[in-house]
Amino acid sequence: MSPDFSRFPDYHDLVLLRQQHPAWRLLAAAHAPLVLTLLHAVFIAPNRRALPRQQLIAILDDLLFDLRQQEGGDAFPKPAAAYLDDWAGDDKGWLRKYYPEDSDEPHYDLTPAAVQALEWVTGLQRREFVGTESRLLLVFELLRQMAEGSETDPEARIAELERRRGEIDAEIARIRGGELELMDPTRLRDRFLQMQDTARRLLADFRAVEQNFRDLDRRVRERIATWEGGKGELLAEVFGHTDAIADSDEGRSFRAFWDFLMDPRRQEELTGLLEKILALEPVRQLRPDPRLRRIHYDWLEAGEATQRTVARLSQQLRRWLDDQTWLENRRIMALLRDIEQHAIAVRDRLPPGDFMTVDATAPAIELVMERPLFQPSARIRIEDRVVVEGEAKTLDEALFKQRFVDREALADHIRHLLRSQPQVSLARVVAARPLAEGLAELLTYLELAEADPRAVVDDARSETIEWTGSDGVVRRARVPLILYCR
Amino acid sequence: MEDPLPQVLIPLLKGVIYAEADPPRWQKLLDLQARIREVAALMGLELIIDEAEGHAFLRQREFAAEETPLPRLVPRRPLSFLVSLLLALLRRRLLEFDQSGGDTRLVLHRDDIAEMVRVFLPESSNEAKLLDRLDRDLKRIEELGFLRRLKGQEHLFEVQRILKSFVDAQWLGEFNERLAAYRKHLEEDGGA
Repeated sequence: MSPDFSRFPDYHDLVLLRQQHPAWRLLAAAHAPLVLTLLHAVFIAPNRRALPRQQLIAILDDLLFDLRQQEGGDAFPKPAAAYLDDWAGDDKGWLRKYYPEDSDEPHYDLTPAAVQALEWVTGLQRREFVGTESRLLLVFELLRQMAEGSETDPEARIAELERRRGEIDAEIARIRGGELELMDPTRLRDRFLQMQDTARRLLADFRAVEQNFRDLDRRVRERIATWEGGKGELLAEVFGHTDAIADSDEGRSFRAFWDFLMDPRRQEELTGLLEKILALEPVRQLRPDPRLRRIHYDWLEAGEATQRTVARLSQQLRRWLDDQTWLENRRIMALLRDIEQHAIAVRDRLPPGDFMTVDATAPAIELVMERPLFQPSARIRIEDRVVVEGEAKTLDEALFKQRFVDREALADHIRHLLRSQPQVSLARVVAARPLAEGLAELLTYLELAEADPRAVVDDARSETIEWTGSDGVVRRARVPLILYCR
Repeated sequence: MEDPLPQVLIPLLKGVIYAEADPPRWQKLLDLQARIREVAALMGLELIIDEAEGHAFLRQREFAAEETPLPRLVPRRPLSFLVSLLLALLRRRLLEFDQSGGDTRLVLHRDDIAEMVRVFLPESSNEAKLLDRLDRDLKRIEELGFLRRLKGQEHLFEVQRILKSFVDAQWLGEFNERLAAYRKHLEEDGGA
């Protein structure tokens, strides 16, 4: 339902608008100040197009917290998430909730209606200075462009261009004669405000443009979905719609805007002009928003989002209009209606067991070696102990871990010797069974002695232990006398 | 130069290739489609490319009566009645979703889906039992690759658009026929 700008709505239209138009409903809502505060802070002030749900909830939570402190605890009873759901609902329509391609979190953007409400409220504050001259000049300029652009007589066009050249020549002559006319501060400020206003509005317009594309797209789809006539008529009907989006007034105007903005020379020119103007003293007195300096980049960004939407919608629409798809969809709808009827008829005695099959989305090739082999599960010992700085004692343990020494076998060997004698020295133990693992094994014997309260370690005396390493070299170690006892 | 074919063929043998997930691979797939078709045909498979939706996969080829069929490489997954019905209903939602506008991602809440099937279940079934069963069925559909649980959001599911290629008019036609036969059988039994 696009508004008719040529006339003011009558009484009944107004009643309907107040009931249905999201912008009006927003202004009339009890929570309007809350909604407007949030929407402005989140979307308008930073010029943001989309915000993920969690982030928006966090911002609203903070805002609600502050407001409850000021207004009393029961001022805003609902949690932030509930407010968001409410405002994005079909009956409110102040936020657009959608899933971007690359995220599983819903994102939110303002709806054009919410922008309208925000703009209206912004306009309520009396502006310090309303420039009228620049507006008048703009009207003249627009009229001139239209008259010129629609002039079919080449002579008339040339005459107009010559007239303007005459004016320019006259101005050059004046400046050469030392007569440099400067724009006074008032006129500068007037034009600046006009420019700022238009530039900002342009940014807000992108949302509306995008929304209009979406509406247009939906209307075309609805028309096709509810088409009852024959196929030939359908093709004739949709033929006019194939490029409905790109060929609409909005589509063409947007396209022209986009081409203009994408021209690198234009971009440079804009950057240069903005720099220069923002440096002027009368303009600086107005304390303009510093972000205005890069507004054309914001346009580019917003324009690109719109551009993507248009491209996507056009592509999908074309596909939707595709002959085969259309027929298949009609057949599917008919089949689904039948299936639903049958399913309801049998719902008290549902078919047991498997009913249908569906192919897997890929071939299944069993790779024998991809199956995991048996592996004993590793036992992990977790000790709840503070690790202190290394002591010499741990050294032997570390060395011992370098090689595998069967500690139990060594203990068995000692026990075996102790069966025939009450005590046995380490030298005897080693003599009975030579060290196969060298130092590691020797250290294990020392460790066993240390762990065994019955073993005696006599530091005053010593023994020499001898073994042959795996390299064939004989090694000797002097150790304290160690006696294993029964 | 290295033959790029395996870079596409092997992933295809393992699952669906999505244009969005890996655009360079998708491009390679489009460039090599003739060769892929050839190799796939040797294995009794058929390459399906949906350019508009941006996905491609291998399907078991239909064999004509006079041909000797090859052993199946693509397994058939059995579906219970309710899972079959759910697939059909999800297909309908996808169709309606496409009809209504330009968004591409259809995300449904579990409760939405429950609401959708409730009317097809015996009235006596209690709520908790229904949701339990639904959760199991949804899990099954997730395994089949037609639903995707949103990250960190247990109860939200994205309907995978590839569902359109599997639950198509032919599949639904067969479902409908079987269901009609079952209904007739019940009615002749005097049971319904």
